[in-house]
Amino acid sequence: MKGLAPLFLGIFGTFAFSWLGLTVIPTWQIGHLNPESDEEGTDIYPRPQSGMFKQGEHVYAANGCVYCHSQQVRADYIADDIERKWGTRRSTPRDYIFDRPVFLGKMRMGQDLANIGARAPAPEESPAPAQAASPASAAQGAAVSSSSVEASAKAGGPSSPASSPASSPAASPGSSPASADSPNASPPPGQRTGVASPSPGQMANTTPGGSSPVAPSGQTPGAPWPIQTAGLPPMYSAAWHHVHLYAPRSINPDSNMPSYRFLYEKRRIGGERSAEALQLSGSDAPPEGWEVIPTYDAKCVVAYLMGLNQSHPLKEVRSVGAAPATGGAPAPAVQGASAAPAAGGSPAAPKK
Amino acid sequence: MNTTDIPLKDPAVSAAAGDTEQLERAYIDASTRVPVLMFYTSAIAWLIVGTILAMVVSFKLHSPDLFGDISFITWGRLRPAHMNVMVYGWASMAGMGTAVWLMARLCRSTLRFPLLIAAGAVFWNVGVLIGVGAILLGDSTGFQWLEFPRYVAVILFVAYTLMASWAVLMFRHRRGEQIYITQWYLLGAFLWFPWLYAAGQLMLFVVPVQGVLQSAVTWWYANNLLFLWFGAIALGTAYYMIPKVIGRPVYSYHLATIGFWTYALFSSWTGMTRLIDGPFPAWMVTASIAATILTIIPVATVGLNHHLTMQGYFPLLRYSPTLRFTVFGAMSYTVFSVIGVLISLRSVAAYVNFSQVSIAYTHLGLYAFFTMTIFGSMYYIVPRLVGREWRYGSLIKLHFWASAYGIGLMTLMLLVGGFTQGANLENPALPFSESIETVLPYLRGRSIAGILLTVSHFIFAYHFGLMLLGLGRTSTVPTFLNPVEAETSGGH
Repeated sequence: MKGLAPLFLGIFGTFAFSWLGLTVIPTWQIGHLNPESDEEGTDIYPRPQSGMFKQGEHVYAANGCVYCHSQQVRADYIADDIERKWGTRRSTPRDYIFDRPVFLGKMRMGQDLANIGARAPAPEESPAPAQAASPASAAQGAAVSSSSVEASAKAGGPSSPASSPASSPAASPGSSPASADSPNASPPPGQRTGVASPSPGQMANTTPGGSSPVAPSGQTPGAPWPIQTAGLPPMYSAAWHHVHLYAPRSINPDSNMPSYRFLYEKRRIGGERSAEALQLSGSDAPPEGWEVIPTYDAKCVVAYLMGLNQSHPLKEVRSVGAAPATGGAPAPAVQGASAAPAAGGSPAAPKK
Repeated sequence: MNTTDIPLKDPAVSAAAGDTEQLERAYIDASTRVPVLMFYTSAIAWLIVGTILAMVVSFKLHSPDLFGDISFITWGRLRPAHMNVMVYGWASMAGMGTAVWLMARLCRSTLRFPLLIAAGAVFWNVGVLIGVGAILLGDSTGFQWLEFPRYVAVILFVAYTLMASWAVLMFRHRRGEQIYITQWYLLGAFLWFPWLYAAGQLMLFVVPVQGVLQSAVTWWYANNLLFLWFGAIALGTAYYMIPKVIGRPVYSYHLATIGFWTYALFSSWTGMTRLIDGPFPAWMVTASIAATILTIIPVATVGLNHHLTMQGYFPLLRYSPTLRFTVFGAMSYTVFSVIGVLISLRSVAAYVNFSQVSIAYTHLGLYAFFTMTIFGSMYYIVPRLVGREWRYGSLIKLHFWASAYGIGLMTLMLLVGGFTQGANLENPALPFSESIETVLPYLRGRSIAGILLTVSHFIFAYHFGLMLLGLGRTSTVPTFLNPVEAETSGGH
């Protein structure tokens, strides 16, 4: 090539072409989404998050959780994310409009967390009869991440009765029509953190050891992982998250999640044992007269986790729970209608 | 051309002209000594830091309780620290060192404005140092490949502006009409990087885009950094080193032109393949998949060109360290791209999207392709800067084999482990923990590969240190990997 100008123009042009195509035009297309609401203007989703949630987001970023945990649910005709009960519908751009930074993630060395908050048990259910071992857990859960848990306490409403672990395989994704439908029927306020859609697995703890017979039977589609351990707070409750962050291997011996002990403080019990203290057992437990309590950062990151919830239905995608699945697996054909372009803000997206 | 007598010499020119040119080259090389060695020394220091971080990261992944529970060495901070040290500390600085030297040589001009570059290198080091410290102290932005906080980005940008303006100034002062293909790639890299970096920073921090678009911008940036910055430098280097070492012009200049423009056009569109099936409009992802498939065109033209240039000269790989590393890198470019195409197909991506395969892909690009090519160029350039030849052929050989086997094993482990992990992840009959347990043995294998790479990097750093201290051999003959046996090295 002789002249410098064509070379320079070409270099600039190829760059500008890709910049316009992959960042500017998409911004123009889906960069200005608004929350969705029903006709009355209530039941708004998504909503801006609490300050603790935002601080938790920062802790999540600082400690690199995103390098092992994704936060996106793929459509059920593509992958089995929904069958694994990581969500009731595919994620859409609208789910993330208040997230900064957004943690879509590129790796699943740990579970997807897009709906980890939705899997939390409703607090009023926590002191289930069989959970006599941990009567404090509900109070603790509420105290620990007050903002999100209490919000969900208000919003949760009557949730569907717990299904026993034995019934969970058959009842898997489609089993919680209540969780997907109820927000429509009675829109509770504070939606984003609301919708307590109890996963069938969460109640496994009501019969300690009851989950184990399920595993060998080989029919545990999307079995919750790790499995509820006896003597621990209900899975995915705030108290459970704290124990899990502090000592992951006390919950699942095979877990390769790092321990985040630096987010916790070990201190001598002064007077009464703190309501926030973690329920630790075995080698992780502090010595007699000591307790482990979460720092503010730990409370925030748990508040963040409890707030991750994409179970609210959106017009542009179909929630799996809405269409009771036949048998164990949802029929892929059902999903055909709401194919890929649903992600966009295109008004022409199929309603169903 | 007869290569049997003296392998690995400069292109044959008439004796008189040869002397003048040699003098001129020596003069140019001498003028680049301080800045290029500055880049190389910092790069290799960062390489050692990054390697140590990598080892800890790799071991912690399968032994999570290693090294306790201290906040600044928790896995989630070490990993981005390692990544950023390698990307901005090692790869960028080494690439810039090579690019500066090539630019001076190809512009046939002694290095002007050395202060600009030296200042740039200092600023850059400071920026990376602060950035890595910030990540370890918990100030990461949370955007992959852009974890450095904003204030670091400013420092890096100042540093970069100094260096890029130098490159442009050099280019203006070039002698001779002909612009060699390497210069295209280098000029492209020098211009693309600041635009990319500025666009990324702008759209993520200054005027942040909404929601998922942050991810789109991040991966657009990351993939373009891989292709338009590192890839362009490595390809440009290979286009210089291979013909130079074997003393033969590039087979087809026309092919090189096609390769360059298709590379710039298609590879810059590949970013969204990291987000397949994610919450994005389908056309974005589809466009990226199409672009990824089309990158086969530059891969084929560049690969073919190198191959035809090398044809008949492959036995020289036995002797020349530069050639061996560079050809390894050039071949890895093909492997890297082919795997990139495979894993970006929707049907495959559904399985491997969230597995270790993406780590394998990044290592193929940044290590097997880029780093190996740059090692090759260092083996060529450093002796010309310090006026000594590499001291031990055996150390170079050890470096090469440890690197080659290390990256080969690592890629294999991550690819196979990633595919099984992905397959288990997509099998709803298996609990999630199964996918992790499947991949753990492969991750241990990856750690073994990491040990090999660590060994190779320490050997190289030691050897480079000897050169810096002036302990290289004084000789007119370059250090060969094997003793030159007369009559056996020729092509046909």
